[in-house]
Amino acid sequence: MLWLALHLPLLSLEAFCATLPAADTDADTDADTDAGTARPVVLLVEHRVHSANPAAVACGIRPGMKRATALALAAELLPAEASPARDAAALQAVAHAALAFTPSVTLHDTQTVLLEVQASLRLFGGLAALHRRLAAALAPLGHRVQIAAAPTALGAALLAQWFPTPSGRSDPAALVTGPHATDTTVLQALLDAAPVALLGPGRVHGETLQGMGLHRLSDLRVLPRGGLARRFGAELLDELDRALGRQPDLRRWVLLPARFDSRLELFARADSSEQVLHGARVLLARLVAWAQARHARVGAFTLRMRHERQRQAMLPATELQVALAEPSLDPAHLQLLLRERLARVVLAAPTLELQLQCSHLVAGAAPNGELFPTQASEAEGLARLLERLRARLGDEQVQRLVAVADHRPERASRAVPAQGEGVAAPRTAAVGSSTAAMGAGALPLHRPVWLLPDPLPLVERDTLPLLQGRPLQLLSGPERIETGWWDGEPTARDYFIAQAEDNSLVWVWRARLPEAAGEVHWFLQGRFA
Amino acid sequence: MPSLRGPAPETLHPALWRAHQLGRPGAAVLASGYPELDAQLPGGGWPAGVLTELLLPHPGIGELRLLAPVLAALQQQQRCVMCFDPPAAPCAWALRALGLDLQRLVVVQARRGLKSRARALLPAADVLWALEQALKSGHVGAVLAWLPARLPADALRRLQLAAQLHAGPAFLLRDAQLRSQPSAAPLRLLLASAGPDLLRLTLLKRRGPPPAQPLVLALPAVLSASALARALQPAVPVEAAAATAALLAAARWASTR
Repeated sequence: MLWLALHLPLLSLEAFCATLPAADTDADTDADTDAGTARPVVLLVEHRVHSANPAAVACGIRPGMKRATALALAAELLPAEASPARDAAALQAVAHAALAFTPSVTLHDTQTVLLEVQASLRLFGGLAALHRRLAAALAPLGHRVQIAAAPTALGAALLAQWFPTPSGRSDPAALVTGPHATDTTVLQALLDAAPVALLGPGRVHGETLQGMGLHRLSDLRVLPRGGLARRFGAELLDELDRALGRQPDLRRWVLLPARFDSRLELFARADSSEQVLHGARVLLARLVAWAQARHARVGAFTLRMRHERQRQAMLPATELQVALAEPSLDPAHLQLLLRERLARVVLAAPTLELQLQCSHLVAGAAPNGELFPTQASEAEGLARLLERLRARLGDEQVQRLVAVADHRPERASRAVPAQGEGVAAPRTAAVGSSTAAMGAGALPLHRPVWLLPDPLPLVERDTLPLLQGRPLQLLSGPERIETGWWDGEPTARDYFIAQAEDNSLVWVWRARLPEAAGEVHWFLQGRFA
Repeated sequence: MPSLRGPAPETLHPALWRAHQLGRPGAAVLASGYPELDAQLPGGGWPAGVLTELLLPHPGIGELRLLAPVLAALQQQQRCVMCFDPPAAPCAWALRALGLDLQRLVVVQARRGLKSRARALLPAADVLWALEQALKSGHVGAVLAWLPARLPADALRRLQLAAQLHAGPAFLLRDAQLRSQPSAAPLRLLLASAGPDLLRLTLLKRRGPPPAQPLVLALPAVLSASALARALQPAVPVEAAAATAALLAAARWASTR
């Protein structure tokens, strides 16, 4: 058995900083930089500092200080309440990202996720490759992660929480790889140098152990077990035994929920769609992690924005449903679609909380990326382009033309909304399929390419229609179209091809039976292009 | 002596050309389907990966009949053709008669789109954005766009940069009044109707010497032979009225039966 432990030392700070508006973070920040920013941030529990980000530590703030002391040390401090629910949601997202690699994932405490990867090593090509893929999967979530590997679960968790960094300085990289203990003897040798405070009961009895001169776990190992059990209780020995594999360690596996539902309460109310989008970025990263764990792609998702209470009454939450024509797992693509949809929505009031829900997944992995463009990848790329255009312009504005077998020109051609999957479909034997070569058996060019949406009435002078004040010269016709008596729109028209003053060809018609005796109306229907 | 002069400059690099020669475009060219036009275009066809500007007095003088061969050839190669903001509703049967495949044609109506906030600032914002997305994606075979007359100063420059990622020709069809305004497109043509089923092309800008006289192309015929003969009659109003009166009389006689 090989257990990987993912320890997130700054989880609460990072989960809180995800709720901050974008203006507070650095201009070039990606979420991999250390939690918070240049601005000092502390999390308070019962008015005492619980955790502080590196900028606050540099100002001299330590855990356990009072709130007033911390504010006195750093003028622009941002104090916030610690929220276990927010941290649990962030940890769940990391667990979901880990579920894409193995079905055996469990939570150790509020900051550690354990994976059992022995069965997956061969699939992913070894431990180093697995580390790289884990780093890539966890990068969008924006946490600093310390990884260690050991044959037991608790041993890996202890190693990940503490391992000696060679330089002694914290590594600025987002994923720090710790030691890999290949078997229990190596694990024991590594843990021997760890401080006693690493174990839970060790922290509880910390002063007594210090007074006895027991500083390292190696000191505990050489003492008689009976004496240790009598003085400090059975929990200390139990934890040591579980870490070194002498006793079984039962865990409860993390189960993947069937529906995705995640909330993010924004620290400052969001007044613009850019700020809403910044908050939604974190939720989209969690959605992608969950979908990857389900080995499926996102088909549709809903963003619900809860607004500030207005003077009169509570406003209902604004719901934005985004449906994808082509299911995808690309967070950049989902963000772009959400951005375009948000640009069209008017927010009634500032947004306080975001909730992202998804229950529509399409099973199956994404098609492999291709080095050279093939027809399948071209079709998929085209479908994505049409989806982006539809997101911004509206579903009805991206159209495909359909030829209808009707003699009336305004009905002979119809524009239908283009769906992504039909564009690359092979041409079936359609009615009246024309050959591609010009003039080699193609249909005659008796129809104009440009049809006006409504026929333009023309003035008549000397039995000739006038276009822009100049008489038209009728060249060809009449072509009589008389149809439509069965569906309530009978048309009886004589069509002529006419030449305008500048030698362009137009298509005009007049009614076969004038409405009143002696009254003739000419209309312009289209132009030949 | 020829041996002392060294190699001719135009053979050193494909981007070099002399003033009396036609330049060679960097990317591929596609045959336009009209040999006399291919002889005048640098590279022997419509250039791919750059903007080509066609200036028309008004839509409907034969521009689609001019472009139909190259669009049909691209659709034969399983590529898609996209039209942005056409001036009127295209007739599906007419496009089919020109040899185009309706399954591989997408029409984007950006002008009548939903109002976004950017649209209030600039009416052409939506169509420029959509055009840029289509050019940058690289999955579209050819692009035809009808742009409004007033554009931001660097819009064409941006489109030219985006067209470098595009694998086919990009045609911008604009009004002929803009012939005196500078444009970033390397190839500009002025189109006018020279007669029934005839198109007069003036090459305003190309990589090469300005052509001596405009080119007159014969387009695929819309008119039948008798209609063409009627059109070529000298335009004396009395004669024309007599011919059309004959047509109308025939129509009236047929309608009263």
